[in-house]
Amino acid sequence: MRLLLVEDEPEIQSFVEQSLVEAGYEVHAAEDGSAATQLASRHAYDGLIVDLGLPDQDGIDLILQLRRSGISSPVLILSARRSVDDRVKGLEQGGDDYLTKPFAVAELLARLRNLLRRNRATSEEATRLRVLDLELDFISRRASRGGEVLNLSPQEFVLLAYLCRHAGRVVTRSMLLSEVWGMRIQPNTNVVDVHVYRLRGKVDTEGREPLIKTLRGIGYVLKDR
Amino acid sequence: MAVLGDVAGRTPKDRLYGRVVGEVAELASREVPDKLRSNSNENDSVFFLQAGDDGTLKLWVGAGDGLPNLAAIRARKFTSDVPYDLNVKGFNHPFRVATVRLDDGSHIYLGLSERDELRVLNNLRLRFFCLWLLIVLFGSAMVFFVTRRMLGHVREITEAASRIGQSDLSSRVPTSKRNDEVGHLALTLNHMLDRIESSVHQLHTITESLAHDLRSPLTAIRGKLEVVLSGDLKAEQGEPIVSAIDELDRLSEFLNTSLDVAEAKADALRLSRTDVDLDELVRIMIDLYEPSMSEKGLRVNLRSAGPVTVLADDALLHRVIANLLDNELNHLPASCTVSIKLGASEDAATLIVEDDGPGFASEIGIHMFEQRVKGRDSRGHGLGLAFVEAVVRAHGGSVTASNRPEGGALLSISWPRATGEKIEAPHSLTLVNSYVRR
Repeated sequence: MRLLLVEDEPEIQSFVEQSLVEAGYEVHAAEDGSAATQLASRHAYDGLIVDLGLPDQDGIDLILQLRRSGISSPVLILSARRSVDDRVKGLEQGGDDYLTKPFAVAELLARLRNLLRRNRATSEEATRLRVLDLELDFISRRASRGGEVLNLSPQEFVLLAYLCRHAGRVVTRSMLLSEVWGMRIQPNTNVVDVHVYRLRGKVDTEGREPLIKTLRGIGYVLKDR
Repeated sequence: MAVLGDVAGRTPKDRLYGRVVGEVAELASREVPDKLRSNSNENDSVFFLQAGDDGTLKLWVGAGDGLPNLAAIRARKFTSDVPYDLNVKGFNHPFRVATVRLDDGSHIYLGLSERDELRVLNNLRLRFFCLWLLIVLFGSAMVFFVTRRMLGHVREITEAASRIGQSDLSSRVPTSKRNDEVGHLALTLNHMLDRIESSVHQLHTITESLAHDLRSPLTAIRGKLEVVLSGDLKAEQGEPIVSAIDELDRLSEFLNTSLDVAEAKADALRLSRTDVDLDELVRIMIDLYEPSMSEKGLRVNLRSAGPVTVLADDALLHRVIANLLDNELNHLPASCTVSIKLGASEDAATLIVEDDGPGFASEIGIHMFEQRVKGRDSRGHGLGLAFVEAVVRAHGGSVTASNRPEGGALLSISWPRATGEKIEAPHSLTLVNSYVRR
């Protein structure tokens, strides 16, 4: 998969590029709007990562310009602003997403994966989901592990379902907050950890292989192999 | 009259009548020039009467035979040298009568009908009244229209000003070309708004560039640390990096909140308001916080009267509630209870968060909502309640904090209800400030 990264800060560009390459993407980097336009006219990209504060042009204008020239790949917006512009929210409805700086690389990758998958469509909502010996039934909203039904609250089911859908990939706290609870907040308490800790108490019971792994400072992973 | 008496005295009797008739006719035409002609051609506006001292009519010039006039004069109890009003039978209007006594003991009476004077007087009264009425009506109409125009202009200014007060700093009150007080008022207001807008713009510029200039290196540092962390590290090597990342996250959260508080205090916080159901939001928040609370041995309960819609910036509102619950979570000792009450009246939603803990430390006291104020044992950055207060105020609500008499802290937020009409988000300013960096 080929991505276009438009970011003018060399420091940020270098580590984002490095992380993307490590994650298996082919990355082209541009440091301003005109370079991005040129690259976009020569290559096809599966996804774009655009910083809003470019030296020669507003990132939003660049995105609109690319859209007008027929590029419909999903865009992940990076913003240094605190309150995200209404125009960005408007774009978001079109399938794009945004991240405010400073962001976690894990979150950048996770959101990017979401976007790219969303774009490939056909995301038929499965009625059953299976990860190793963990099984989720979305109709009865029941989860079982190794055939044994887990006694989960509705909230815990949603949380586990989210982890399962992203099995094998990093899920950050803020992703859980925004996807499971619908909040874009950064609590200075460990509220999310306690939820995951409780869920783990029910899923990874004694004598079973632990599936939910904590990555300190980053988030969580549900093992899928 | 004296002349007339003199004439009457000197003129021989036989010629007197002719002269008197002549004089009276002249007098009648001169004294009452605009008299209307009465029905008869007779001169009924002037009479001349000479009565002997025995009360007989000696000479009569005028309408009729003069007997009623003589009778009326006789009926008067006294005579005087001063002209007097005399009502005569058969005449509708009184006469003004002057009297002269002649040497031979007879009296001469000259009467001028007041008919025409009264008519003139009535005419004048009527005209004066009409004129007065006209002036009053015209004046009132003029005052009404001028006032209405002025007040209309003032009302426009007031409406525009209140619109601006709510959100839209870029619009201006309407000005007129007129060089009057209202015009000056509008101009002055607009000058003031120019200055406010430029100050707010400047504040945005500063906060945005501050945010950006701090955020870019933060992003770079965090990213690099994460790259290191994702490499193959032993657990004990990773530990300091994880805590560095945690500290960075706290730093950026602190940066965001202080800038938000600064902007909210300056009434420059950009709100994008939507309808938010407080009841639903509080339930989700409690659901989110409940495990952490019970982990700490705290109980939380909610009393709500059902859905309560408010017009709010949902991202900020989420953070306000999260702040309140973070506060309880961080400060309450074990086995306390947090009670959340949600109520609503016609125009305000009330959210009360109270607990049975130790209450607010007395040293915080009145500085509760100031930035950087926190209790001695607090681990937070001291912005929590300042942020809550600033955001609630920016939405037009109010916060009060107190210690309950039975012990424990009580925080009450009054949030204005949605009033139907949505307030537009100030796009213009957002656009103005779109880019502040190089």
